[in-house]
Amino acid sequence: MASKLLALRSLISKPLNLIVNQTPQKLDFVYNLKSFSTTSVSNINFFNKLPAEKLWKSVTSVSNAGAKKGRGKGAGRIRIRDLNRGQIIGVGKVNMLWPGLSAPVIRGRELLKQQRLPDDPERMEKLIKLRDSMTKFRRLKLSPIERGWSGSRMPGRSIGPPDPVVDEEFTGFDTKVLQLRSLLIMKGTLGRTRNYQAMVVTGNGQGLAGFGIGKAKEAPAALRKAKNRAGKKLMNFEIYDGHTIFHDFFTAFGKTKLYVQKKNKGYGLSCHRAIKEICQAIGIKDLRAKLEGSNNLQHIVKAFFIGLLQQRTHQQLAEEKKLHLVEYKAENQNYPTVVASPEYVRTKEEIPKDETLDFIQYVMNDRVILRRKKFPRFFQTMPHYEIYLKKYEKYRNHEKIRLNLKAEYGEIKSFLNDKYPEPKEGKEE
Amino acid sequence: MSLLKLVQNNTKSAFFRCNEPKIFLISSRKLSIVPSIYDGEDPAPKFFSSGIQILLKRLTRPDFAKVFRKRNNSNISVLRTPKYKFVTDEELRMEKLKADKSADRLLQMPPVVKVHKPIDDVLSIDPALIGYDSAKYLFTDISFGVDNEHRTIIERDPDGTLRSCDHAERKRLNQGRKIREPLIFQDEEKFHSLLDRLQYEYVLDRACVQYEPDEPTYHKLTSITYQHIDLKSMYDLLRSTRHFGPLAFYLTWHKSVDNLMLELLQSADVREAVLLLALRQALHGDLSSGEESSALVSQILPTPVQLTKKEQLSEEDIQLDTKCIECVDKYINTNSAMKSQQGLALQGFREHYQQLVELSRGLKKAHGAA
Repeated sequence: MASKLLALRSLISKPLNLIVNQTPQKLDFVYNLKSFSTTSVSNINFFNKLPAEKLWKSVTSVSNAGAKKGRGKGAGRIRIRDLNRGQIIGVGKVNMLWPGLSAPVIRGRELLKQQRLPDDPERMEKLIKLRDSMTKFRRLKLSPIERGWSGSRMPGRSIGPPDPVVDEEFTGFDTKVLQLRSLLIMKGTLGRTRNYQAMVVTGNGQGLAGFGIGKAKEAPAALRKAKNRAGKKLMNFEIYDGHTIFHDFFTAFGKTKLYVQKKNKGYGLSCHRAIKEICQAIGIKDLRAKLEGSNNLQHIVKAFFIGLLQQRTHQQLAEEKKLHLVEYKAENQNYPTVVASPEYVRTKEEIPKDETLDFIQYVMNDRVILRRKKFPRFFQTMPHYEIYLKKYEKYRNHEKIRLNLKAEYGEIKSFLNDKYPEPKEGKEE
Repeated sequence: MSLLKLVQNNTKSAFFRCNEPKIFLISSRKLSIVPSIYDGEDPAPKFFSSGIQILLKRLTRPDFAKVFRKRNNSNISVLRTPKYKFVTDEELRMEKLKADKSADRLLQMPPVVKVHKPIDDVLSIDPALIGYDSAKYLFTDISFGVDNEHRTIIERDPDGTLRSCDHAERKRLNQGRKIREPLIFQDEEKFHSLLDRLQYEYVLDRACVQYEPDEPTYHKLTSITYQHIDLKSMYDLLRSTRHFGPLAFYLTWHKSVDNLMLELLQSADVREAVLLLALRQALHGDLSSGEESSALVSQILPTPVQLTKKEQLSEEDIQLDTKCIECVDKYINTNSAMKSQQGLALQGFREHYQQLVELSRGLKKAHGAA
């Protein structure tokens, strides 16, 4: 009975509203009370038929063959976005307070009621913004300290110390990636398979260092393998005075030739970037290495390590030669300091005629580095150059003079200015 | 301060008027040092005599590590890689000799000469030339081969007198160094702040560059520096440099060796203490233990320079050292002004030395037995 009344009431109120309120022209629907039709109010549509995962997959999927070829992995591919992100149950287009869902039923002593809260006009925009940030392929941005040799690539970047072995922890060790490349091999059963190969050098900066190569299907796995292998294959190197090698040397591995020179404190590492990383791992701070021939990175690393291992300390050199080894430093006015002495020193008569006594020649195994002749610059041979030099002589020293005047008098003026002061600028005008 | 400036400016005229030594008081914040110049007797002949030169060289105790240290003011702009050489024993000996020679050159002492007399000889007076010009005329002999010191430079004043130029003008005309004096030498505050910061070597080097050794300003600056060092007992800063010789000479000349003696005793250098006594004897000849010290010198000099403390002593060393100790003891009792302190230091040294003697004798016995 009551329901029938309610139904009647609703039937009446609507036309009443129509008459009374004079609603705008938008309402152009007509209540059809004579004939009725069943229009299905469907709760299921295309988007509800399947779970989100399957829907997305249908849009972005790549065939099996395509996946093997590596399609759909680059910058152009569409990313799956989770549309639920940024949304909470209970908050929607119409901002309403649902007690029991998004708000507590009783707050203090008050019983909350369902009520409409003020709308958030920017809600849609926020959601769109969030979804946009999920889609695009973001280039990983690294800070300059973390950055390696180039961009966000791995070579040159540090990957922490090697994993600790049973009871040994690698304290003070740091590994740097030298090479990370993907190799493709053709297999009979699988076809083309992809492998990552990583070359890594690890060291503690105190003379212990080692390099390792690792191969795996995934890049991080390859790096890890290489790192641990390097940790297993550590070598101890002696460093002269804590900053450089003992003497110049030449090494080669394959077609890669390295001319390495010992340098003074403060020179820095003037070498190939891979050799720089190795030196930093070992603890060498000043060096010059010239690469000749092939620049195969693995050969460079191996050549360098071989050369370092073949180095002789000053004491060993003195013992080999059976002569004192004396060091002359230019900043100490070339005062001779005896660096190493053998047990028995040969006399002049005991030295054969053709023996190499020159230190550099002996240490480089009789190889001589070609010193290129320096030719004059292109302008020095031009006809007007001498005339220019003669003219320039007049004001060649003027910069220094200006500096000295500023230091002595505070400004650029002659010593006669005190007696004969210059007229002021303003008065002249 | 104005009085001081007046006095400084009129140094020249002050010297003209009276030949007695003038003492100018310069008060600093905490110490008041009186610069005393080598007045009266000429120190040059004594300074350059070979015996005293040897003594002074020995007292500087040249440590090659410090003599050949890296200097910031040297002319190399960039560091170079060290060079290596294989040498035999003979060649090594030759290299060491060459190094000694260059060390001698680096340790060459700036000469101690007396203050130059002001030049004041008038060649002619022509009052007829008054009003001819308002400027002075200077005439220089530019013939080749004449030393700068011996060049004839004369001036014609506006009032007609023709006279030889004074040292200041000679220096300016000979175009030796910068006309302007460095601020540290003009401003007392700055000078004393440098000395308080113990930058003695820098100050002395700068003074050598700026002034000739026979100028009154040079003498004044060096005397203040030496006295400052004496007061602070910071002799070690100047050891192995070329300034230690003149410092020792100055202190001995003015009979204030006691601080230095105390420092030597505290650092257990009895032999150098005896050398110092010999120096005093040579300069003044008023020590009771004078002849003994001079005799000992000839025995000490052949022994090598002691840079580090000795651990083992030989019998000759022990004999020599005991004689030295006796000599020094005599000096302390008779001529020293800091008797108590030096006596204490000597006592301490005696005990330490006794231990060393026992140790070395014991070791020798052990080695002899084995």
